[in-house]
Amino acid sequence: MAVKKDLSIEFAGIKCLNPFFLSSSPVGNNYDMISKCFEEGWGGVYYKTIDLWKENEISPIFGVPGNAGEPWTAFKNCEHASQNLLEENLEHMRRLKRDYPEHIIFASFMGQTEEDWELLTAYADQAGVDGVEINLSCPHMGRENMGSDAGTNPNLVASFTKAAVKGTKLPVIAKMTPNQTNMTPAAIAAMQNGAAGLSTINTVKSLIDLDYDLYTSQPAMNGKAAISGLSGAAVKPIAMRFVHELASCPELAGTPISGVGGIYTWNDALDFLLLGARNLQVTTSIMEYGYRIVKDMASGIMHFMDEKGFNSLDELIGLATKNIVSPSEFDREYMIRPNFDHDKCVGCGRCYVSCFDGGHQAIKWNDATRRPELDTDHCVGCHLCQKVCPVKDCILPGELVWREGFEPRELKLKTYFE
Amino acid sequence: MSTIIKKSYTDEAVQGYNLRTAREEARRCLICHDAPCSKSCPAGTDPGSFIQSLRFNNVKGAAETIRKNNPFGASCANVCPYDKLCQEACSRCGIDKPIEIGKIQRFLMEQEKAFGMKTIEVPEVKKPGKVACIGAGPASLTVASKLVEAGYEVAVFEAEQKAGGVLSYGIVPARLPQDVVDQDIKLIEDLGVKINLGTKVDSVESLKAKGFDVVFVGSGLGGAKKADIPGNDLDGVWTASDYLKEARVSNGKFNQGNKVIIIGGGDVAMDCAATAKLAGAEKVMIYYRRTVEEAPAYIEEIKFVQSLGVTMTTEFAPKEILADGNKVGFVVFEGRDKESEAKVKADTVVFAIGQEPSDMTALAGFQVDPKGFIVADEETGETGVEGVFAAGDIVNGGKTVVEAVAEGKKAAAAIVEYLEKKEGVK
Repeated sequence: MAVKKDLSIEFAGIKCLNPFFLSSSPVGNNYDMISKCFEEGWGGVYYKTIDLWKENEISPIFGVPGNAGEPWTAFKNCEHASQNLLEENLEHMRRLKRDYPEHIIFASFMGQTEEDWELLTAYADQAGVDGVEINLSCPHMGRENMGSDAGTNPNLVASFTKAAVKGTKLPVIAKMTPNQTNMTPAAIAAMQNGAAGLSTINTVKSLIDLDYDLYTSQPAMNGKAAISGLSGAAVKPIAMRFVHELASCPELAGTPISGVGGIYTWNDALDFLLLGARNLQVTTSIMEYGYRIVKDMASGIMHFMDEKGFNSLDELIGLATKNIVSPSEFDREYMIRPNFDHDKCVGCGRCYVSCFDGGHQAIKWNDATRRPELDTDHCVGCHLCQKVCPVKDCILPGELVWREGFEPRELKLKTYFE
Repeated sequence: MSTIIKKSYTDEAVQGYNLRTAREEARRCLICHDAPCSKSCPAGTDPGSFIQSLRFNNVKGAAETIRKNNPFGASCANVCPYDKLCQEACSRCGIDKPIEIGKIQRFLMEQEKAFGMKTIEVPEVKKPGKVACIGAGPASLTVASKLVEAGYEVAVFEAEQKAGGVLSYGIVPARLPQDVVDQDIKLIEDLGVKINLGTKVDSVESLKAKGFDVVFVGSGLGGAKKADIPGNDLDGVWTASDYLKEARVSNGKFNQGNKVIIIGGGDVAMDCAATAKLAGAEKVMIYYRRTVEEAPAYIEEIKFVQSLGVTMTTEFAPKEILADGNKVGFVVFEGRDKESEAKVKADTVVFAIGQEPSDMTALAGFQVDPKGFIVADEETGETGVEGVFAAGDIVNGGKTVVEAVAEGKKAAAAIVEYLEKKEGVK
């Protein structure tokens, strides 16, 4: 029988069927889309951001670095807020809550002044949704005091959050921008002014591959492009960093965090949960593969829970937090040399090339046997060789060497390599 | 039910890559430190380098590498036995399957053509020394190409009406379309190589008398053999070379009847079988006197003709061809076990059992081996006759195109060395 685990979880006081939500974006912009995503297994949606400006959308809207059609390494958009009429969007949300009462809907808004925010969030109550997300983080607004302009300014975050909270009875989640060296002051400002939780990250300001006829980036409108939001696999490590910084910040202890950025697989989803996120948001992978990907996220996590003996997500959320430390706290008393499996080795010599050109010249290449040989005098245990080896389990951690003056003791070491 | 591939005589057998699929394949490449693929190419085409170039998005640079190393880069891409050479050496075989090097090379040569690339440069100032090449096949034109590139004046003499030798006359277009052959030849001609078509050379002396300092003999193999059995002179009995040439010259429109028997087990036999089938024969049967395992044909070629619906019967050798009037009626086969026998109806019989050189001693005072092939130094092509070099099928007895190119490159280097040392060259 297929493994079945309870993936339900409470987030910012709201009971959710599972942590898998659409992030506020083109993937959740009307009744038909969202009803389909609920049928496929998503637990909720952050509805596409609603603002107070009517502006024509650009064309094209998206750009992808590298070859289109191959798995995206990243995805760049310069999309505006929802193009639907306000009343249409409220009606879509009302119908969705009527037809899918157990699924969760957050309405997302963006304003420019305190008055805007108060006015906008009140619509969420009219639509009968479960919560509000305030967009303090879109990186390509082109309007003052909006989007990431606001999100990088703790004073604006404070006043806008306060106004937004005033407009609604519903829990307000503040969506943070990664386009700053330190997100924590803005996050604290939001929480101190009534936010019920934080979402992070919104997209990263970026430029991607230039066009060599137009000499500009993409998406390009009449020969011009802009710095705009990058999402997808490339931003996941950045998102994980920010989730961890919020989850481990003492002033934010207990704050519900929604993790966003580059989630494609159950592993990606699990990474955010283990770092302390209680809710997950996804767009880019849906744009690439469709809503159906949620099935493998759910099933994969259930199998992981089964394998490790977890019965609820609460048991695993934040398990990694204490193991992410400052480099000053590292155990620097030992090193691990690589071990080469000469039977598995196919003789490509990539380890040799990388060790010489990018490491410590610690691998000798045997031309006759086409196999690497370790020079232990030069090896520093960096494991660059293992990172370039194309053969599974060919290069693995080998001999453990204690530095001079240190006694051998029990260590926690990585044993599994994909 | 098996799905049989139905194509016309001139349709290409294999679908090529486009930029996207070629890059995807290049991404599988491990970019080996020692590039065993490159070491396994007889002609030094250097797949390790051109795949790395493609992998790092340098399509034109990749095409340049091929063209610099192999004047028949486009033709080789279609007919090379990759599975026995570079692809067999590919390190990726240790993980799953080799990189499709042949298809990548073919794609890059298509790009070369699409971009109208001119890779090879010829020095403006000529060096002293004139060279004549006899034959316009892969070995001879490789010599011509490399010598022109080195700064020498070269003229090619070809008895046939079209350049390319076996490439233009001896391979089914499904495997090697004529425009691919022409792509290679055009680039060689554009370097300034003058190819005199329909010009048979009677003697090396006559060329030397015209002022050529060096003569290269790359005339290929003349006649193919027929088995010495009763009935081998009936109408409808062909040698492989005549048969393939007829098909190519007529573009597949010639009278061969509906039942065609091909006798032989090499690549030429497979080309004949594919030709027969693609040119419209209903029933095409290969008979080979040994087993598939012993057959010299590459397994991919055997698989290809089988995919066309051609049958292959092994361990049967022809004993006699029975007449129907003055033309072929039946072929009688005898089993290897000396007990089995078969009598098979046929309209056309093609012998693809090897080729013979024409009489080379008439050309110059060469030493020839008992089978009539020119005896020449493997590394240099020197024949023992002063200023006369030879390579390709006429020396090696009939091997692959890539080997002919390899030998041509070596001979060209030896000729350069010879001309540099020789006194009195103007």
